[in-house]
Order: sequence, then structure tokens, then C-alpha cells
Amino acid sequence: MSAEMANEIKLISGRSHPELSGKIAKRLGIEVARTISLNYSNQETSFTVGESVRDEDVFIVQSTATGDVNEGLMELLIMISACRTASARRITAVIPNFPYARQDKKDKSRAPISARLVANMMQTAGANHIVTVDLHASQVSFFSVPVDNLYAEPSFLRYIRENFNAEDCVIVSPDAGGAKRATSIADHLNTAFALIHKERPRPNVVGRMVLVGNVEDKVAILVDDMADTCGTLVKAAAVLKENGAKSVLALVTHGILSGNAIETLNGSVLSALVVTNTVPLGDKVDRCPKLRVIDISPTIAEAIRRTHNGESVSYLFTHAPV
Amino acid sequence: MRGTLIFAGSSCPDITDKICHNLGMARADAELTQFSNGETSVRILTSVREKDVFVVQSGSPKINDTIMELLIMISACKGGSANKITAVLPYFPYSRQSKKKSHRGAITARMLANLLGVAGVKHVITVDLHASQMQGFFKCPVDNLHAEPLIARWIRRNVPRWQEAVVVSKNAGGTKRVTSLADALKLNFGMVTTDKKRGPNMSASMISYAFDGMERQPVLEPISNQVRTNSSELENGTPDAAADVAQPQDARSAADAQGSPRLRPNGTHPRGPANRRKSPPRRSQTTLSQSSIIDELDEDLDDETDGLEYNDQRAHEVTHGRLVQGHIVPDDFPSPATSAADTNLPEEDPMMLSHASSFFAPQPHALGGSGDAGASSDEEDDILKDPKVEHMITLVGNVKDRTVFIVDDMIDKPGSWIAAAETVVKRGRASKVYCIATHGVFGGDCLEQMQACDCIDNIVVTNSYPIPAHKAQDASKLVVLDLSFLLAEAIRRNHYGESMSPLFQHLMD
Repeated sequence: MSAEMANEIKLISGRSHPELSGKIAKRLGIEVARTISLNYSNQETSFTVGESVRDEDVFIVQSTATGDVNEGLMELLIMISACRTASARRITAVIPNFPYARQDKKDKSRAPISARLVANMMQTAGANHIVTVDLHASQVSFFSVPVDNLYAEPSFLRYIRENFNAEDCVIVSPDAGGAKRATSIADHLNTAFALIHKERPRPNVVGRMVLVGNVEDKVAILVDDMADTCGTLVKAAAVLKENGAKSVLALVTHGILSGNAIETLNGSVLSALVVTNTVPLGDKVDRCPKLRVIDISPTIAEAIRRTHNGESVSYLFTHAPV
Repeated sequence: MRGTLIFAGSSCPDITDKICHNLGMARADAELTQFSNGETSVRILTSVREKDVFVVQSGSPKINDTIMELLIMISACKGGSANKITAVLPYFPYSRQSKKKSHRGAITARMLANLLGVAGVKHVITVDLHASQMQGFFKCPVDNLHAEPLIARWIRRNVPRWQEAVVVSKNAGGTKRVTSLADALKLNFGMVTTDKKRGPNMSASMISYAFDGMERQPVLEPISNQVRTNSSELENGTPDAAADVAQPQDARSAADAQGSPRLRPNGTHPRGPANRRKSPPRRSQTTLSQSSIIDELDEDLDDETDGLEYNDQRAHEVTHGRLVQGHIVPDDFPSPATSAADTNLPEEDPMMLSHASSFFAPQPHALGGSGDAGASSDEEDDILKDPKVEHMITLVGNVKDRTVFIVDDMIDKPGSWIAAAETVVKRGRASKVYCIATHGVFGGDCLEQMQACDCIDNIVVTNSYPIPAHKAQDASKLVVLDLSFLLAEAIRRNHYGESMSPLFQHLMD
């Protein structure tokens, strides 16, 4: 009887990352809701929910595929809007990698704060709640609806503990901005910490790099929130190698891997790039033997379950569900 | 113009340059690129502080990128302290998704209107919205310009013997648009409708039988009886039977009965009855009381074609055709291999069919109420292309030896245009066909297919939606009218706070 009653979890998947949605659904022990998504011949996106969502607790999982960010974003907005008009009780947008996250400040004259625009767009479409992974705190404040910002850190900690001896490791932040993230991991593991200072003349172009800290004869683990063209990571890895690191690997939350990232990685001194599956990776895992993937879906699924049941989510900030 | 900046989105630099040229100013500088991960990057390269900013953006094959670019440009201008930001959208994206079509579908056009508001738009200028009710989606003022005066002027200047032409709507939902152009040019109008989900033997006699009842004995009663017995016999019915009945007398009475009930729910009564009702109804048959359209059409014919004498037969200018795979086929064309169970709605009882009740069921959008936004032409076209289904296509109005203007707001998929053109040429014996629309979206190989269609002589669109140069070059039938003067004038009047009304008027020349 209770299964028939309203206000159950309805998991709706966008087209960008069905694999992740499927894993989340499996974890929650439910089916992904039936939906129809298609593009008209003029490439306009059309979306229909195939089953009733009236008075249900709707979770819309949509990542954005590299190169098709706007496509995924518009589809998400249309999905939210469709569920809103279909009288869903609450709509939670589950956006593992938040699009336009880097355009979050007016760093030049008349530069658009696109991240804020995207946040406003989602609220306008009708999202009541946002679940995302490793978004900057500054961007969380763009929203006036609640945002549950999950961390990949517990998953990373487990990966390091399972694969390395923590004493041999040194956690390295590839830029000053990521120092907090790196120190947090270093503190949890009780290991050393280093930092690379870089000068960045233009976006996606890497300037001179200086290492602060000692990595000699250690496994240097670079930690960052995003790997896009991988120029920074690869240069940082080279700097670490020059400074005597035994081996270098990188732990990155969002593996966007655009442009020539795969070729850059394959030709680098990095022994491995470990990413979570927040971004659909397509055939990149096959093309890059150094690429390892941590499944983030248990964390997201648990966040969905706790959100639905009104339980605290903070446990997930320190623990990764097995 | 002082204090004005016009920015072009990446979809439409050409029309923006023309607008700027008309206004005697240069396009404002902006750098529009994409990051390698696909995110849109916008840099506004001139100061917008306290300026009156216009952002021009149309559609493109990457429509969602285009929308995001527009929103980010608006947001950037707003962040740069622009005084007022106006979005100039010659083609409003997602305008066909302006109502909840299916259960739980999205009203994307409304959402887009809200998104524009969130980004910081204070005013919207657009052209021929698919449904004019969409203006209500915006909190800010909307100027919905009409390309019709432009099209009417082109017709008057370029079409030989346009005074004798007929304006034809290719679906019932679009009749309002068509009658407006017909009124402006003082021309007759007609209509083409396609009936869906009918088996090959869904013949006109079935309807006429149900509706004529007492008045008129069905000519082919044995056949209609046979059809009505059960579905297996439907399957076995000879194709010729269907073709035979779709012949003059019965066919006319069928559409007589059909014209009015199909149209009224859509609220697209072609003309106000007071408009042309000069004489009292001249016919006393009960069937005619239902056929107000044909009534009026007929009066139009009387008014304007003096040489032709009025007679009762001409009151029923209704022609039928058979449509298989989107093309008109001769009457003796074999029926597509299909069973009645495939094409008829499975829950329908054959006996019910004879009452033709489902036949006259209002179109899905009838409840939605927006008369000028028909069912999505995409869906329409998909059904037309289904090889298993045969349709009955009906032409209402006399187009014989005349030039026909088939008019709609948008050309996206070719199917319904080609079907309508073939109907007016092959069944109605029209002499020439112009396909006219405001927005030439031309999805896929639409333009190529329409160029290849023998029944279409000219394709007339405006430059509201950019047409790639290489595509336009290969299409000798294509005529593109320039909207830039209209848009430039709208921008100028907006900036100076002048009235827009003159832009909606037809200029006689």
C-alpha cells in the first residue's frame, strides 16, 4: 500500500549521464522514472515525464557532458519545468558537476557571473533543492534554495588508504586556491602537505610553477576539484618529479577532460589520474590507461535517501558509504 | 542613435549588421567563444554603463548554445550597469512548446520567458510568435511584430495575377493566420486538412452516411455497409471502393458536415459572420447550416469572381486526396500493406466508426484553446511519414487554375508542406504554388526536399532565422525577405519612445 502512496522518491534521469542515474537508482532500490527526451529537427529539446509525479518527491539527476554543457543544462531546466507543471511536491536537482562553476566572479570589466545566472535559472525553472558535489562555497551562496554540497573527499580518503601507505604520501595542491582542500585531506591522513604556486596568464594556459614543501622520495598526490585540459596537472606533476617525488598521481573530483586532455595525460609523468564519475567519461577510460574512476553514486544515493526522509546529510561529509 | 548599443549573438551577425546599417551605427563589440569544455564565454568589449542595450539573437542548429549565449550576454550587460536591456529575437526559440501538449510535458517557452527575465531583460522585440498568447508569459513588455505587411507587399509586387490567387492554410490550426493575410490582400482562402489514424477504407461515404441521414441516400450504400460490419472486412475491402466514394457528390457532403465541427472547437472561425453576410442564407438544406465556412467561402467567390455563375454545386468546393508516405497518390494506387487494426484506434468499435464520432473528435489542442498554434508540425510530419498509414487529405475551397499561397508561420519539416502543395496541384489543379512562412527554420534536408518537389514553385521566408549561404544557393525557389528594416524601426521607435502601431499596418503601394 505504502508503495502506491504519493510522496515517494521519483528519480528522473537526463540524457547526459544515464549510467550514474542507473547506479543511484540501483543503490536506492528503485527504478528510474520513465521519461521521453528528444530533440526536434531544429534541435530544440523536448521532454515529457512518462508517469505521474503529482505530489511526489522528484530528484532529477543531470550531469553535463563535456562539450555539450548547454545542451545538458537546457534539458535539466526543461525537466525541472516539466515536473513543476506536473505538480511535483518538491523538485531536487542533482547536479554532480555544476555547469559554469568557474565563471563565478566579475574578474574583468563586464565579465558575466554565469554561475549565478545558472543558479537563478534553476530556481526560476522551479528547483526547490540542489544536490551537488564539490561546489565552491561562494557559489552555494548564489542560491536562495537549500543546497547540499557533497564532498568527494571521504571517497578519496578511502582510495588513498586502500591503495597507499599514508606515511609515504604527501598531499599536494596544484594551486593556492586548493590549499584548503589539500590540507584537509592531509590532516585526515596525518601526512605532509605541499603546494605549487603557479602564475596563470590566461585561462587554460599555465605559467611558471614553484613548489612549496618537500616531496622527496614520497608518493605525491595532487588534489583538485576539476581536471579540464589537464595542462596544470601535468605541469605540476613534472615539477613534483623534478623535485624528487617517487611517483605522482592526481585525485580530481570532476574529470571534464576536454580538448587534448587524454593525449596530454598519456604523455605525462602522472602514474594515474583518479576521478569520480560525476562527469560522463564515455570512451575516455579505454583511451587512457592512467584514468581510474571512483564511483560517487553511493554518496549521492545516500544524500537523496536522507533528503527524502528528512535525515541529516552531514554524516556524508566525513564518511563515504560503502 | 546616441546612448544605444546593439550586440549580435553568434547566430545572426548578418541581420544585426543590416539593422545597424539601417540605423546608421556600428555593431557593438563582444567576444563570443566557447571554452574547451563547452561552456559559453562572453566578453563585452565596450562600456555599457547607462546605455540602452539591444541584444539580437536568432536560432541556430545549436539552439541551446544560442540561448545560453543570449542569457549570458544579457546577464553580462546587466552586470555592466546597462540602463535597459532589450532582447531582439526575430525567431523566438522554443515557441512551439508554448503549452502542455501531453501530460507532464514542459511549457518550455514560458520557462524561457522567465529565464530571460531572470537574466535581466527589460523588453522583448520578436516577430510572429507561434502563439501570440505567449506575450503573456513575460513580465516585461513584448513587441510582437508582424512580417505579414512585408509578405503582402512582396506578393503585390512580385506575383503575377496575385489578385486571383487563393491563400491556403495547411492545417486547421493555422487558419487564423491565413485569413489575416487573405483579408489584407482581399483574396479567397482555402484549407487543407489531413485526417489521421484512418485505415485505407475509411471512406467518405461512411461519414456522409452518418451525417446525411435522411436528406441524401448514400450512393454507395453496399460498400459503406460492408465497411461498417467489422474490422476484418475493413482489411479486405477493395482499395477502389474507397477511391470511388471519394468522388463528387458524397465527398462534398462529407466535408460539408465536417468543415464546421472540426474548426469551431479551435476557435478559428475564419471571418466574423457580420463581415460579409450580405444576403440571407440561400440554401435551405439542413446540412448547410453546419457549413458556415464553405458558406462564406462561397460568398467570397461570388463577390470577387464575377464571371462565374452561382450554383448549388459550387457551394461544396471540397476535394479529397489519398496520402501515402506523405505524398498524394492516384485513386487506383494500391493500399499500403496495413491492417485495419494497425491504423484504427484499437479500442474503437467498428460500429462507432460509422457514426464518425471519433472522426470529429477535437484535436488535442482544442482544449488548450490557442487557436493559432496548431499541433506541433513535428508530430504531424512524423505521422505523415509512417509508411503503413494512409491519410485522407481534404482541400476546402476552389483553387483551380489559380495561384496558391500556402501560408504558415514556420517551415521546419517539409512533409506537411509537400502534402499540401501536392493536394492543391494534383487534386485542386492549382496553377502555381508559393509556400510562404515567416520563419524558415528548414530542419534537416527540408529545403532540399521542398526544392525537389515539383508542385512547389516558390518558397518565401524572411531572414528571421539564419539560412546557411550554401543551402540558400542551391535552392533556386527560395526567396528571402529582409526583416532588418522592420526590426531597425522597432528598435528606433523603442529607443525614442514612439508608437509601434504603424509597423503593424499594411502599406498600400
